[in-house]
Amino acid sequence: MEKTFQLEILASDRPFYVGPSEYLVFPTVDGMFGVLPGHESMVTVISPGELKYQIDGKWHYASISEGFVEIRRDYVLVLGDAIELPEEIDAKRAAEAAERAKERLLHKQSIMQYYHSQAALNRAINRLKISKRHSHEV
Amino acid sequence: MGNMREIRDRIKSINDIMKITNAMYLISSSKLKKAKKDLAATHPYFNKLVYAMRSILSRAPEDIDMQYFDRRENIAPTDRKVGYIVITADKGMCGSYNHNIIKLTEQKIAANQHASLYVMGQVGRIYFQRRSRSGELNVDAEFIYTTQNPTLYRARRIAEQMLKLFEEEKLDDVYIIYTNMVSSIIFEPKILQLLPLDAAHFVQTEGEISRHHEAEFFPTPNLVMEHLTPNFMKGLVYGAMVDSFCSEQQARMSAMDSATTSAKDILQELSLQYNRVRQAAITQEITEIVGGAEL
Repeated sequence: MEKTFQLEILASDRPFYVGPSEYLVFPTVDGMFGVLPGHESMVTVISPGELKYQIDGKWHYASISEGFVEIRRDYVLVLGDAIELPEEIDAKRAAEAAERAKERLLHKQSIMQYYHSQAALNRAINRLKISKRHSHEV
Repeated sequence: MGNMREIRDRIKSINDIMKITNAMYLISSSKLKKAKKDLAATHPYFNKLVYAMRSILSRAPEDIDMQYFDRRENIAPTDRKVGYIVITADKGMCGSYNHNIIKLTEQKIAANQHASLYVMGQVGRIYFQRRSRSGELNVDAEFIYTTQNPTLYRARRIAEQMLKLFEEEKLDDVYIIYTNMVSSIIFEPKILQLLPLDAAHFVQTEGEISRHHEAEFFPTPNLVMEHLTPNFMKGLVYGAMVDSFCSEQQARMSAMDSATTSAKDILQELSLQYNRVRQAAITQEITEIVGGAEL
């Protein structure tokens, strides 16, 4: 069987990675989800978290906000709202965003605004986590 | 013929104006370049997104949630609540760009009793709000978005808002009115239906279905579809925003270019006039001196 599958990771503002990969792990609504070559066809949703993929035995990491994945035997397509490399994340900015979101959550606001703040907080914390985890590699 | 000072002042002021129009021309051209680049970068994503939605629709189980495709045909055409997103510029000075959009919008709302407008951009907002104050129109005052430098984030907010209004049945149809850039000199105002989603976007050829019709949806097809729809809407809105923005910049570029050209023409004429007046003054002085010497 083939050792790799074609992986296409597209962020909404740019193509992120297109090429072969051996292993892909991404976060879904109920936990991490791994894909090896020859996986059963399926379509699923990504929740914000850490995405990693292996090329030639080396792991590559990225932070992903919401998105979705289509898997076929020899091809995987990842579409994400925002995908960033750990070194691209501006930790200071993410920390500020987290602070702002927390502050907003304290105020009385409409349900819609509450969800927005909550989602913003989620994204910021996720970014911070990933940039911290991989900062020593940079 | 005016006197020398008058002409000199006129030349100076036209020179100043020319500097401004020329600067606006340059700014527009650089903004245009950036917007075009941004749009190109998002193309692969949206192509794949449409493709994914299409493949889901083609093999989705019967019970999939199709609320965004619901045409609500039981509502008579005269009772339908129609929302129009109108994209205008934040500033004037761009030829007939704003005028064309406003004209098309007026045509559309004239035919409908229950139209509400969601206007982006200062020029359109001011225009339509003045009319709404006299009670003729329904303009959402809270819908404040700029059309400068379109971002996906802004498009997302707008798409979310429209989906919500549609879900709550406050709107039955949603259209977006924007300017399409056919070529660098031809723009046409266009209207595009956003909601209900048009299944025609997703018509597929036979080959595509058979290639992957056994896929499974995880956790459920509904959840996946629910996630894709806002993203698709966002793509449509963003595309319209960038298209309008490009047209605006292009329109401003050509308007400013012709302004600069005519400023140059006027300058040429004025400097000719100035030189003539100056020459006449010198001649007169010489005549006076000569006349004085003869005495």
